[in-house]
This record gives sequence, C-alpha cells and structure tokens, in this order.
Amino acid sequence: MGGGAALELRHVTKLFGAFKAVEDVSFSLGPGSICGFLGPNGAGKTTTIRMILEILKPNSGTIKVLGRPSALEVRNRLGYLPEEKGLYKKMKTWAVIAYFATLKGMGRKAARSRAFELLERYGLKEFAQKPTDALSKGMGQKVQILAAIAHDPELVILDEPFSGLDPVNQQVMEDLIRDLARRQRTVLFSTHVMEHAERLCQRILLIASGRLIFDGSMAEAKRTVPRRVRLETEDDIAPLRDLAEVSAVRSLPQADGQGSDQDERPCARWELELREDSDPQVILQTCFGRRIRLRSFNQTEPTLHEVFMRLVGPEAREVGFR
Amino acid sequence: MKYALLVAWREYAENAKTRGFWVGLFLFPLILFLSLEVPIFLEQRATPVRRFILVDPSGVLAPAIEAALEKSYQRQVLAALKEYARKNAAPLTNSAAARPAPALEDLNETDAQALDTFVAKGGMGFFLAQVQPRLRPGAPPFREPRRPFQQVKLPPGINPKADLASIAEALKPYLRHEKLLETDAGAVELAAAILIPPDFQNHLVRPQSSSAGGAARALGPAQQIQYWSANASDLRLRDEVQRAVNDEVRRREYLAHGLDAGLIQQVERTYIGLASLDPTKEKGREAVGTADIIRQWAPSGFVYLLWVAIFAVIQMLLTNTIEEKSNRIIEVLLSSVTPGELMMGKLIGIAAIGLTMVGAWVAALFGILSWKSAGAQEIASQVFLVLRTSNLVPLFALYFLLGYLMYAAFILSVGSVCNTLKEAQSYMAAMTLLLMVPLMTLAFIPKDPNGPLARVLSWIPLYTPFIMMNRATADPPLIDLVGTLVLLLATTVAALFMAGRIFRIGILRTGQPPKLLEMLRWALRR
Repeated sequence: MGGGAALELRHVTKLFGAFKAVEDVSFSLGPGSICGFLGPNGAGKTTTIRMILEILKPNSGTIKVLGRPSALEVRNRLGYLPEEKGLYKKMKTWAVIAYFATLKGMGRKAARSRAFELLERYGLKEFAQKPTDALSKGMGQKVQILAAIAHDPELVILDEPFSGLDPVNQQVMEDLIRDLARRQRTVLFSTHVMEHAERLCQRILLIASGRLIFDGSMAEAKRTVPRRVRLETEDDIAPLRDLAEVSAVRSLPQADGQGSDQDERPCARWELELREDSDPQVILQTCFGRRIRLRSFNQTEPTLHEVFMRLVGPEAREVGFR
Repeated sequence: MKYALLVAWREYAENAKTRGFWVGLFLFPLILFLSLEVPIFLEQRATPVRRFILVDPSGVLAPAIEAALEKSYQRQVLAALKEYARKNAAPLTNSAAARPAPALEDLNETDAQALDTFVAKGGMGFFLAQVQPRLRPGAPPFREPRRPFQQVKLPPGINPKADLASIAEALKPYLRHEKLLETDAGAVELAAAILIPPDFQNHLVRPQSSSAGGAARALGPAQQIQYWSANASDLRLRDEVQRAVNDEVRRREYLAHGLDAGLIQQVERTYIGLASLDPTKEKGREAVGTADIIRQWAPSGFVYLLWVAIFAVIQMLLTNTIEEKSNRIIEVLLSSVTPGELMMGKLIGIAAIGLTMVGAWVAALFGILSWKSAGAQEIASQVFLVLRTSNLVPLFALYFLLGYLMYAAFILSVGSVCNTLKEAQSYMAAMTLLLMVPLMTLAFIPKDPNGPLARVLSWIPLYTPFIMMNRATADPPLIDLVGTLVLLLATTVAALFMAGRIFRIGILRTGQPPKLLEMLRWALRR
C-alpha cells in the first residue's frame, strides 16, 4: 500500500500514565474503502481515532493521514463524527452545519447553501431555521453527520454513527456511507452493531485491550470461526464423532413443538464444528454411508457477531476504560 | 489565525443573540437615565404633600414655625425659578447688558438677606415677569414647586382648648391613617401633629437650671413640644420645626436680656464662608469645585462598571466553554482547529462582545450626559466635563481588556475541566471571593488614592485594573502607573500561557474535575 494509503498507522502506542490505551497498532487503509473498526468498550477505538485526528498525540509510532504526517495539515479533507454527539443548542440547524463547514475551509456562502442542500436531501428541510434543541436525538445526530461531511472530505471517520438512529435512519446512514465509498472516499467507522459492519465493510479491524487483534477482509474474519453444521436425526451419530474433519460435537436443546408425536423416538439436534478447510460434504456423505437418517441438515456461515465473540469475548467482559 | 477568527465570529454572533447580552447592553444606560431622572420626577411629582396640624395655645411659637416653613418654601421657589431661567434662557444677546437691579441670578437662595429681597420684591410673580423677556421662544410655562408641607385645621369635634393629651388621643386615628381629614381639597391623610404645651416657657432647658442643681432634668412629653407622626423616617418637617422653635426661643431670650431685635437679626445673618482648596492645583485655581469632587469619585463609578463588565463577560465565556465541553462539540471542533486556535477564537469573540457592551455603555454615558448638560443640568455637565478632560475612558478600555484577559485565562482553565456549570461553581465561588476585594475597597480608595492601602493593592495583579482605575484621576506616582501595568501585562500573558496548557489537557477530559493544584501542575509541566 504505502504512498497511496488514505490512512497509515505504524506501531502506534498511547499511554495514559501507566495505562496502555493503545499498544503497537499498525494498519493502513486504501482510498475508497469502507473499514469497520470494531472492539469492545474501552478497547482503544476512540483513543486511536483521536490520535488519527491529532486531538491526542501518540507516545510512539507514526500516523500518516492522506499521505501527510499530521492530520492538521489535511484537516480540511477530513470528516469526523465523534462518539458522543452534541450541537450548539441555540444555533439554527443550518448555521451549525455551515459553521463546521467553514471551519473546514469552505466559504461562508458556499457553506450556507451546502447546509440547506444537505438538509433538504436528508429530509430535514423544515428544521433548517430552527435551533438544534428543537431536534430529536436521532435528527440531531443526522445533522451532526451532515456537518461532518458537508465539506466533502476524502477521509471520513465515524465513531458509532448508528447509535441512536431508528432502523429507517440506520438504512439512510448505510446508504450514505456506501455513497461516500462509491465516490472514492475512505470511510473508517466504529460500531458495536455487527450487522452494520457485516453489510458495509470490505475490511475489518478488531481491537481489544489496546492491541489490534485482527486486520483483514470480511471473508478472512469469518474464517477465524470454525464452520459449523447443524443436523437433526433420530439415529446415533457416533460415526460422525470419529471423523477427522469434526473437531467438536454439541447437543442442541430440542426445539418446542417439533417431532411431538408420542410414538416417535425423540429427534435429537446436533451441532458439529468442523476443522479448518474441511468440506461439509464429508459429513453428508458419512451420514449416507452409515445410514444416519437426517431430518434436517444445514451448514451455517458464521456471523460477524460470532467472530467478535470468539476473538474478544473474554476480554470484553473486563472493565472498560475510555 | 483564520480559524481562530472563524471561532471568534461565531462566539460573537451567537452571544450577541442572547438575552443576557441585550439586557446587559441596555441595563446600564437605563440605570444611568433613571438615576438622573427619577429624583427630579420624585421631587416634582411623586413626593406627596405632607399635611400637619399645629396646636399652639400660647400663640407664641406657631407664627415662627409658619414663617420658617414659608421661608424655606420661598427658597425652593427661588431655586426653581433660577433653574427655570437658566434652562430656558434665549441664546445670549446684547440685551444682556441691560440687567435689572436685583437680577434673579444674583440672588443666592442660601443667603437669608437675598431671600428677603426676593420676597420683598414680590417673589415669584415679580421675577417671573423679569425673566420672561429673556426666555427662548417656546419655553414651557414655569411650574411652581409644590409646598412640601401644608398646615390643616383640627378636625371638627376636637376642642383646640382641650389639654394636649386628649387632643393627641383624638388625633391618633388620623395619624394612623385610619381616618381621613376633611379639607377643602377633599379627604387627606394627616402626616404629623405638632402640639406645643401652653406653658412651654416654664420648661425651657437652660444651662445650670435652678431646680436640679446643674444636671439637665429628664423631661416627660408633657413638658416638651410633641411631634406626632407615624412616619419616623421622614424627619424634614420635624427638623424644620425644631430649628424654627429653638431660633424663636433664643430670640426671645436675647430680647429678655435686653438686646435689640434688629441687632439680633443682624447677628443671626452674619456668617463667614469656607473655601475648599487643593494644594496640588496651580496657583490661583486652587478652589475645589464640583468638578473636583466628581473627579475624585467618578473613577469609582468606572470601577464598578469595570467589575460588572468583566464579571458579565467572563460568565459568558464560562457558559460557552462548558456548553462545548458538555455537549461534546469540542471533539468536532478539535478535528478542525487546534486547541490554541479554539482558545484564541473564544478569547477574541468574547472580548469583542465585551467591548461592544462597554462601548455602548460609554456611548450611552456620553449621550445622556451631553443631552442632560445641554438641558443645563448642573451635575451632568460637570460629569461630562470631567470625562472629557481626563483619561478615564481610555484607561477604562485598557483595564477592561487586560482584566478580562487575565480573568478569562482562569475561566478557560476552569471551563475546560468542568462538564457542567455546577462543577464550575466551586471554582467560581473562589474567584468571586477574590473579586470582592476591589468592591469592598471601592469607597476607601478615592479618600486616600495614593495611600498605602491603595498602593499595595495596586501591585496585586488580580486587583490592578480595579484599584488603578479607582486612582485614575488622583495622579498616582509614575512608578505605580507603569509598574503595575507592566506587571499586569506579564501576569496576563503568563496566565494565558498556563491556561493554554490546562485547556489543551482539560478540554478532552471527562469525569471529575481536578483539584486546582493538579491543574497548576499541568500548567507548569514541561
């Protein structure tokens, strides 16, 4: 990647006193990509983001933003939505957006017309002349997002952009992010809601306890979780247990109202974990060969949620630090 | 700097929209206007005429009291007439040369003889006719001042011949305003009753009185003139009566000792003037006039303004900083501007707000004063003169700016570490206490503007703006003027520098605000 990267971190470490908030984090993002920045509370996401924006200075390591060693040099080409959102309560909605846009180098007039244009496009036209404390929480957040992208930044960093939005507006937000990427803007966003990341990201960064524990594509992320097969059968599944491909077998609780006929033998549900690179077809073949009669069989793709739980589950329970 | 100015512009525009700003802008001119107008209004209209009853069976003192009240009323008429003539005088013409013999403006109402001349010549009617030709066209008619005190008759049913105790008893419902007196002008309240014992001559207190062997006897009400009134705070009538009665008693004593009545009157009207002189003024102009008194006290007014202005403005700064912090706007801001630019922008924006407010105040001050002094209001024209001939206004602007910046440094530090106004209150309490000192010394400094207290306080940078402002017209030593200014400047720069460091650290912090000592450590850490 190197020179063309929109964002590049090398061995970045940040200490708060003796506490290591971020430890030796390195990654880089190419232009036009959408990257999910995931991690439990207190993992160091916000601290990392603040360092990228040069609000905080790292203790060691280097950060290059849009090819420059300092975000300040390119601050007019960055857009930032912080995790905790707020607006000037007494200011008019359009004026807030225009103000932030002028702080990003836009002319006063251009900023003003851009603010009205964005408010209209995102259905907030009638609030343009109202003070922001007349907005609901979700609307306020939308306004803040608009303020973050009003100057059409090349690198957009969104800290928890979905929190507080209703499903409709979450969809609007997703579309907005995709639209940015389509126009070759780079988006880095953090979230706790895996579904959004799953739908949007080509790239996943997972951070826990200040360390980057995963950096790769969505497919690579899912491969970190063993593939699983679920099946239902009345027969003994002992032959399957001996297969080299199967690493673990779990009995699943009986689903209510299924196979409730009194004379029928109880129908058991099982979940089999497969070793890496093994083919689920082997299970199916074995069942046929050993006359295990299947009532159902399905192989499930692991969700990002499972990936997350597996990679950071134990640490996520630790007390967070922000 | 461009970004700082953008921040400054927003601060200015947004604060200029707040109600507090406009209230602050208009409150002072309003107070100034009212403080000039209300006394006049009260004097002219609002003070009710006080009705009193005078019972003097001896018939000796009542005429003296009546004459004294009449005299004081004539004095009031003379003063009002002179004021009227001056206010409405036509622009000076050559006809001024032809002045009538006892010219109105030559009569000094505080001089008894001049007052006699006024009355003897025919009083108001005569002199009004005298000034009439010299009035500007369209002058309003002269409004005769109202008599502050008016004597009324005893209500029917009370026997004036009865003893004082029963008269007093009968008058009590009237004095308590439970009953109204019926007069020709309708029902009125009775303000006071003056009851003089018929044998008052037997109760005169003389030195070495015969009966009690030298010591003054304690007198009961029956042996004294009784002044009955439900209003114990308005002593004007009581004082007039006391003075008139005692002058009359003494005059009678002189007569009893064989002195000539004309001689007594002459002696009574003999006096020598007293001139206040200022040794620091040039020879021949040492007389202390009204302007000098104003010159001595005007700075105190400016100190008060300075205090109010600084306090109002830093309060805005605090509110805004905390708003940005508690609403977490700060992070967005900091992705666009550096903390230094943000701080600078806020400082400039709020300073501009403050200067607008203070500028409006000074403009209102000049406007109202020049308007009032055009209307020949003595005090207003004197204050106006002092303002124009002293460095009060430029010093006020200078001390406002420096004082604001110094206190703003503290406010920005506090604002940056606090998430709510409530958290900031404990810091603000400390600052308010510190700021009380210049207010408490406000009245002492002008009395001894170059004394040890004033000098010591001047050298404490926190107080320099206020104390030096207070000493502004007293020609403080140059070392004080320049030295304290340099120290103030240095302190302000250092405070802003330290505030910058605290601001940078504090502004992103959440949770409990740190102790002052810890903030100091941030400020000094390398």
